[in-house]
Amino acid sequence: MIKLSQVSKRYPNGYDALSNISFHVEEGEMLFITGHSGAGKSTLFKLISRIEKPSSGQIWVQGKNINRLRESQLPQLRREIGVVFQDHKLIMEKTVFDNVALPLIVIGMPRDEIRKRVRAALGKVGLEGRDQALPETLSGGEQQRVGIARAVINRPSILLADEPTGNLDDDLSDEIIDIFRDFNRVGVTVLIATHDLRQIDRLGCASLELSKGEISAYHAAPAFELTQEHREQSDFF
Amino acid sequence: MNFFLRQLQVLFATLGDMRRTPMSSFNTIMVVAIALLLPAYLYIGVKTTDQLASNWEGRPQLTLFLINDISPQEAQLIFQEVQLSPSVAHAEIITPEQGLAEFSLLSATSDQLVDFEEQLEFLGENPLPFSIVLMPKLEYISTDAIKELKLLLGSIDGIDSIRLDLEWVERFGAITETIKRFALILSVLLALGLMLIIGNTIKLLIMNRRHEIEVSKLVGGSNRFVRRPFLYYGALFGFFGSIGALLLLWLSSIAIAPAVTRLVLSYGGNPFLYAFSVQDAFALIGLGIALGWLSARWSVAQHIWRIRPR
Ligand SMILES: Nc1ncnc2c1ncn2[C@@H]1O[C@H](COP(=O)(O)OP(=O)(O)OP(=O)(O)O)[C@@H](O)[C@H]1O
Ligand SMILES: [Mg+2]
Repeated sequence: MIKLSQVSKRYPNGYDALSNISFHVEEGEMLFITGHSGAGKSTLFKLISRIEKPSSGQIWVQGKNINRLRESQLPQLRREIGVVFQDHKLIMEKTVFDNVALPLIVIGMPRDEIRKRVRAALGKVGLEGRDQALPETLSGGEQQRVGIARAVINRPSILLADEPTGNLDDDLSDEIIDIFRDFNRVGVTVLIATHDLRQIDRLGCASLELSKGEISAYHAAPAFELTQEHREQSDFF
Repeated sequence: MNFFLRQLQVLFATLGDMRRTPMSSFNTIMVVAIALLLPAYLYIGVKTTDQLASNWEGRPQLTLFLINDISPQEAQLIFQEVQLSPSVAHAEIITPEQGLAEFSLLSATSDQLVDFEEQLEFLGENPLPFSIVLMPKLEYISTDAIKELKLLLGSIDGIDSIRLDLEWVERFGAITETIKRFALILSVLLALGLMLIIGNTIKLLIMNRRHEIEVSKLVGGSNRFVRRPFLYYGALFGFFGSIGALLLLWLSSIAIAPAVTRLVLSYGGNPFLYAFSVQDAFALIGLGIALGWLSARWSVAQHIWRIRPR
C-alpha cells in the first residue's frame, strides 16, 4: 500500500516539482503515471523510495510513514521496492551479471541461489547469455532491460518503473510491460511512469495524470479479465 | 560460517580490484612499507643499543674500602658477606700489597711517582686498606639500583667507604633514554603519516566508486555493506605494506651486515640478528593491518555518509 497526503516537493533551487499531491494505491494495484516532460513523475518515485524527502506532507509505504524512517532503516525500505530508473543507474565497470545480482548481494544471498535467479531474470527480459557483457557494450534498450531485471530480481512487494519502455520498440515494450503485469498478478503493487498511452489502453489499467506538479486527471481501471496467457506467465514467478 | 564466507568473498573481490589498478596499489603499498620500515629501523637501533649496554665490559664497578686496622681474617669474612649479596655478579678482594702494586703500576707514567715513593718511605708502612672490587649483576646496573646497592653495602660493619663512578652510567642511561623517546615520537608521527596516506588513498577510491556506492545504496545496500570493501582495502594496504617493509628490512640488512659485524665483534655478541625476531616480524604485520584498517575506518566515516543517491 502506498499513500500520499498533501505532498509537496520543492527542490533546493526553489523549483516546485510537486504541489499538494494526495492519492493512494492499494496493495496489488497497478497504476500508470502519465504527464508531459517535467510534470514530476520521476520526483514522485524518488519520494516514494526516499531518495528525496518531501518538503511537506506525509507518505506511507506498507503502513509505515517513511518520513520518520531513520537513515539506518532506508536499506530495508529499498529492499521492499524495486525501482527501474529512468537513467538505468547501471554500474558501468561491472558485468550485466553483477549489476543484476546487486540487490541479492547486498542482502548476502548465497552465490548459487544468486546465479539461478539472475539467469532466470535475464531470460525473462530477453538477455540470456549476455551476463558477462559490460553495460557499455549493450544498446540503450538492452541496458534498460538490465535495469528491469535488477528491479525484479529481489521479488519486491512494490515496483516503481520510470519510463521502462522509453527506448524500446512496440513489441519489446509490450513484452516488458507484460512482465510487470505478471508481477502485479501475483500481488506486487506496480507503478509505471510512461508517455506510452498505448499501454494503458492495451492493459486497461488505472492511470494518474500529472501536470506541472499537480494531479490533473485520474482514470480508474475498467474491469479486467484474466486471460489464459496471463495465468501461464504468472506461473513463472 | 556464512558470515566468514561472505567476508572471504569481499576479501578476494578487493584483491581483484587491487590487481585491476596495479600501479596505484603498488605505490600506496610502497609508501606504507617505507613508513613502517623506519620505525622498524628505530626499534632495531634501540634494541641494539640496549644489548650493547648490557654487554659492555666496562660496566660499573664498586670499590669498597675496609677500615684501616682490620685483620686479614676479618677482611675475608666481610668479603664472603659481600659475595653472598644477591645483586653481586663478581667480587674480588685486594690486599694492601696488591693494592699498592696496582697503584704504583697505574701511576708509573706519572711525574708524581717519585714523590709518592718518597712519601711511602716516610710513612714507613703501607697506608692502603683491604679493598673489595665488585661488579653488580646485569639487572642491577641501572643508576637507581646501584645507588641502592651502595646503601646496602655501606651498612656492613667494617666497610669504611665506597667509591662508585656513576657518571658514565648516568650519561649512558641518558643517551639511551633520549634515543628511545626520540624513536617513540618519530614512530608515532610516522604512524600518523601512514594513516593519512592510507586514509587519503581510500578517500580517492571512494570518490572513484561514488556511482557504484550510490547504486548499491539505491538497491538496499546498508552503510555497513558499502564500506566493507574499503575496510578490506585499508587492511590489505597495511598487510602488503608490512610484508614490503620486512622485505626491505631484509634487503637492507644485507647491505648493513658488514658494518654491523665490525660493531658486533668489538663487543662480543650479534645484536643485529637478535634485534629483530620472528615475533617482531609478526607484530609488524599485525601493526600494519591494524593501522590500515583503522585509517580506512576513519576515512570511510568521513566520506561515505556524504554519498547520497540522487
Ligand atoms: N534535483 C533537482 N533540482 C532541481 N530541480 C529538479 C531536480 N530534479 C528535477 N527537477 C525539476 O523538477 C521538475 C520535475 O522533474 P521530474 O524529473 O520529476 O519530471 P518528469 O515528469 O520525470 O519528466 P520526464 O518525463 O522528462 O522524465 C522538472 O522541471 C525538473 O527540472
Ligand atoms: Mg522522469
